[in-house]
Amino acid sequence: MRHTLAMLLQNESGALVRVAGLLAARGYNIDTLTVVTTADPAVSQLTLSLQCDDAGAMQLLQQMRKLIDVLQVAHLPAAALAA
Amino acid sequence: MSAQLQAAETPPAHPLAGATLSGADVVVQVLADEGVEVIFGYSGGAILPVYDAVFRYNREHARPDAREPMPLIVPANEQGAGFMAQGYARASGKVGVALVTSGPGATNTVTPVRDAMADSIPLVVICGQVPTTALGSDAFQEAPVGNVMGACAKHVFLVTDASKLEATLRTAFDIARSGRPGPVVVDIPKDVQNAQLEFDGASRLPIHGYRARLRAVEHSHLDGETCAAFFGALKQAKRPLIYAGGGVIAAGAAVALRAFADAFGLPVTTTLMGLGGVDTTGPLALHMLGMHGTAYANYAVEDCDFLFAVGARFDDRVAGVAAKFAPRARFIAHIDIDPAEIDKVKSVQWRHVGALVPALDRLTAYGRAHGVLPPLADWHAHLAALKREHAMDYDRASDLIQPQAVIEAINRRAQGRAIVSTGVGQHQMWAAQYFDFRAPRQWLTSGSMGTMGFGLPAAIGAQFARPDALVIDIDGDGSIRMNIGELETVTTYGLPIKVVVLNNGGDGMVRQWQKLYFGQRFSATDKSLHKKDFVRAAQADGFEWAKRLTDKAAIEATIADFLAFDGPAFLEVMIDPDAGVYPMVGPGASYAQMITGDFIRARSAPAALDATPHMF
Ligand SMILES: Cc1ncc(C[n+]2csc(CCOP(=O)(O)OP(=O)(O)O)c2C)c(N)n1
Ligand SMILES: [Mg+2]
Repeated sequence: MRHTLAMLLQNESGALVRVAGLLAARGYNIDTLTVVTTADPAVSQLTLSLQCDDAGAMQLLQQMRKLIDVLQVAHLPAAALAA
Repeated sequence: MSAQLQAAETPPAHPLAGATLSGADVVVQVLADEGVEVIFGYSGGAILPVYDAVFRYNREHARPDAREPMPLIVPANEQGAGFMAQGYARASGKVGVALVTSGPGATNTVTPVRDAMADSIPLVVICGQVPTTALGSDAFQEAPVGNVMGACAKHVFLVTDASKLEATLRTAFDIARSGRPGPVVVDIPKDVQNAQLEFDGASRLPIHGYRARLRAVEHSHLDGETCAAFFGALKQAKRPLIYAGGGVIAAGAAVALRAFADAFGLPVTTTLMGLGGVDTTGPLALHMLGMHGTAYANYAVEDCDFLFAVGARFDDRVAGVAAKFAPRARFIAHIDIDPAEIDKVKSVQWRHVGALVPALDRLTAYGRAHGVLPPLADWHAHLAALKREHAMDYDRASDLIQPQAVIEAINRRAQGRAIVSTGVGQHQMWAAQYFDFRAPRQWLTSGSMGTMGFGLPAAIGAQFARPDALVIDIDGDGSIRMNIGELETVTTYGLPIKVVVLNNGGDGMVRQWQKLYFGQRFSATDKSLHKKDFVRAAQADGFEWAKRLTDKAAIEATIADFLAFDGPAFLEVMIDPDAGVYPMVGPGASYAQMITGDFIRARSAPAALDATPHMF
């Protein structure tokens, strides 16, 4: 099932690599990825989607919260995307 | 807030605040401010300014007895430095520090950094890096430390803005020691080390997300309703069991756990990482559970109807088949500081994310206040019988030296007070099974990564943390070869470490699996024809006391002499090459299917193993 994670990330060198690396190390393949700047130049907004089961998505969410550069991360419900 | 109040809350300014320091001096000053009392490292071009700053700091701040305040301990290989820093951290609970050069110096520390991550050990590893202008140019001794370490460490910083160096270093220590501890790598280009900077003495990076999550976890409080749910289930239980992990040691929660367990008469089994979290000699201590746990601990897990996981994570060496782990437990409770560990492997009925000490203290107080005292006499009697009937044992009649007998002989003299480090393999498991540990931070082993070569450098680091303690490295002939260069480090620094090599002529643990699962085809694990003379190697590295033990009758006298020697001592013991590690819960097997070997009584005949060894 497709899951989407959205996060605010400190705009540090290597931050994106760590997010992508966390997924790669756990055997996930990113389907879509967008990174955009925010009003605060020190903060980027990142949205990604991938295929995994619900338990996997919850575990990924928790693991993302362990990354130092991650300010906030949320799991977007499928409905929010369809809307 | 009034100006007066604000002033009272601001800590006094650092004596060097406002001074101009080089980046290298900033590094050393922050280390000193963080209480670093020893650095493990190897020099090189890209870290030379910091090495010079350490030299100057030590000269300028020499103690009255001429001792250096921050000695730099030089290993044979940077991997050794990383494991020494780990040994120091594991034995002391403080952050271990390694200082290495760029490129090969940094990559040689990848293994100890990953190992520290896997076992939640606080380290700060500082690496020199090529100048910022040369980054990405494939310069001499350039390695992508951010990428490599980013995948292995709790965090990695590449300091490209010299003005952030001071705040970054202080933050590295914050991250390493807070929450679930781990290694932090700080990669410092050489021009940043040479930059002239204004020292402020207090700055930290905001890292808002991390700090906010940390605050939430540290302040999370067990409310009355949650406590009531816990004790409601405990009151119904007839066979409750605590399963304690390395988190108890990392959190300094041994005293709180003891008080909690004693208050309600709860037995405790620990993981490999949790050994010493409770006094293993206590009547309700069941020693280690898991793949090579004691039979009585594993049977207790089979039998329990209430399981309380404290700072433990149901890893595959404990809950190899998660669905069959603690199959009769109607209620599993779990406390951990890392939210990602809750419900990761085993979904539980009761959970709390938070620091262990306040949580355990709160539960103890709540249970006491509500008069909880479960009648557990039957369960206690059952456990005592399990301990008696399924006690650890081995081939005592053999003419060959049994490794367990060697460890028992050492243990009789160390009496649960020594600091013990190990390599990885059978010797590690025998040490885990047969040593007593009266207190935390006495058992130093590479648990999650299982890194051969850990034992000797970890013992060195531990001896620096605890100069007066008896430090013993129980090593394997394979494992010690991995970092054998560090034998010389022991004598260079005159450390009274006792090194034991249990020589079974090869990679015994792998042989055990080859025997069980690969039709006795001992592919590449037999070293019986290898030429190394360990005793002469130790002598060549300056060990005055270096002996080989081959005669079973000489065990007691030799061990007594070995441990009594006032200085570094090396003992090679030629052990039965066919000695196995039992009990064993094979891959894909449940605890009920545990094999106990020829010398430990099993409760029922183990079911035939049809598992493939996919988890080695
Ligand atoms: C660095 C590293 N390489 C390989 C392994 C796989 N491995 C696990 S135990 C073992 C054998 C260890 O031999 P030794 O140190 O002599 O210990 P023994 O089992 O014989 O007591 C090996 C090769 C490992 N754990 N670490
Ligand atoms: Mg061996």
